[in-house]
Amino acid sequence: MVSSPIAEARSVAAHHPLGTSTGHLTELRGQWDMLVMRARDVSTMAVELAALAEPEFLSLCDWLADSGRELPFRFLSVHAPTKQRSLPEPELVARLLALPSTVDAIVVHPDVIDVPERYAPLGATVVLENMDTRKDDGRTAAELAPYFAALPDAGFCLDVPHAHSIDPTLEEAHAMLDAFGERLRHLHVSSLDADSHHVTLRPEDEAAFAPILGRCLDVPWILEAPLPTR
Amino acid sequence: MSETPHGALERLAEHGRRGFPHLLAARRRTETDLADVQRRLGGIPLDDGASVVLMGSWGRRERTSGSDDDFLVLVEGEERDARPRVDDLDRVLGHGTAKPGTRGTFGAQVFVGPLVRHIGLDDDSNRNLTRRMLLVLESLPVVGTEAYRDAFTRVIDGYVTGHAKDFRPPRFLLNDLIRYWRTICVDFAGKAREEERKWGLRNAKLRLNRKLLFAGGLVPVLLCHEHRADHQRSFLVDQLQAPPTDRLAHAFLRFDAADPGVRALGAYDRWIGMLDDPDRRAHLTGLTRRDAADDPAFRDVRRVAKEFEQGLLALLFETRLGPLVREFGVF
Repeated sequence: MVSSPIAEARSVAAHHPLGTSTGHLTELRGQWDMLVMRARDVSTMAVELAALAEPEFLSLCDWLADSGRELPFRFLSVHAPTKQRSLPEPELVARLLALPSTVDAIVVHPDVIDVPERYAPLGATVVLENMDTRKDDGRTAAELAPYFAALPDAGFCLDVPHAHSIDPTLEEAHAMLDAFGERLRHLHVSSLDADSHHVTLRPEDEAAFAPILGRCLDVPWILEAPLPTR
Repeated sequence: MSETPHGALERLAEHGRRGFPHLLAARRRTETDLADVQRRLGGIPLDDGASVVLMGSWGRRERTSGSDDDFLVLVEGEERDARPRVDDLDRVLGHGTAKPGTRGTFGAQVFVGPLVRHIGLDDDSNRNLTRRMLLVLESLPVVGTEAYRDAFTRVIDGYVTGHAKDFRPPRFLLNDLIRYWRTICVDFAGKAREEERKWGLRNAKLRLNRKLLFAGGLVPVLLCHEHRADHQRSFLVDQLQAPPTDRLAHAFLRFDAADPGVRALGAYDRWIGMLDDPDRRAHLTGLTRRDAADDPAFRDVRRVAKEFEQGLLALLFETRLGPLVREFGVF
């Protein structure tokens, strides 16, 4: 499919709607009021509240229960925990189900899912993210297909640098969009360092990602690292 | 690619895996029901210059199980005794649950003279504006097709002749279209203050059907900038005779935004599926604003509406339409 030349020429910073993940604001971890203030400085259009460790997630649940309705963001995503997991999966899903109705998307990593069908009650709110080279599953269209088959209403979050790490030609990213593009809910955008950690988007990556970004003009782009200052 | 939008929805469907099953089923239903209504109205007395015109879901070619009959008897010229009378149509259109809205906009004889003459100022009532814009944006003739085409063209003429400029969108029509969309939004709030009933369904239709109507009109009006003034009328007539979903699908394809187009119209397709579910429709109809905040069914509506809007915004601002929206869409 052909992407828009105008969109390809525009920078990531100019995209609408654009927002940030709180995951890279490590110095403020767990301080949700502060994290939201920092995210708001980037944009009130979109945000991803990242609670990658389970204790963080539990604190986020408590905090959202008090303040979820007052958040300023047009698109609100919550990243479900992937680390320090101790809750049984049914209890985790129950906690995710109890999040405020203002949450538009709940991002889940396929590689930490035990039984996909358990997430079905989340309906279209659950969003599956493609994984990077460090993971053993959920990295490609073929590996994601069984999860989407088990969760027919689930959305898709394309993590562009993850896809790039799997296939620098980005053919796999195109394949994932061909397969699951109709479910696409938002993007993760950044570059990765040698250890696959999200870092500020490098100009050469921004240029390389352009054809993929051009297919995703309509959805929120969530920055997983600060934008470069230019 | 083809200049005409007719059939573009099917062409856009080829870019996705799911297609648009609900929209295409609703089109088939519209065609079948239209043929039935035409057969049943075949023998009615019909003056020269008169037509029976359907609007709303009929005009958008998206009839579902709960659709009503928003119709007008459209007659050329000035107010007079004319046939058919609304009573002549009683047994075929607008009876039972298909009765058109209670505000008197539909189910009436309307004369083309005042419809065209009163554009703007005090005589252009809310009702006159609504009838004129729906004729332009979502109408379908049942009988008197030639008279309908004449009336449709006269209304377009009313906006274009003497006003349009080469390679500029016709501002008169553009301003009236934007005014109509904003009127719908303001009237929604007005109705909500009058009565809580039907808030859920009205809000959902505002987010989806009405937005489709507006965007589906905005795009062809903006695209007039590609034409000389004397070609804009025929361009608009061709564009606006296609269903609004075709107009938008055509624009998504034309401006290299097939992926967002598939998502946007895919979301709209899911909405048509919801509308065609009698239980869900009844649930939304009974939903008040207060109850909607935590209602799972309304949450689904909000989600598809947001996806639809995001797609439209991408079309209008992230493609080559963007400079036109910026230049002509605000001031």
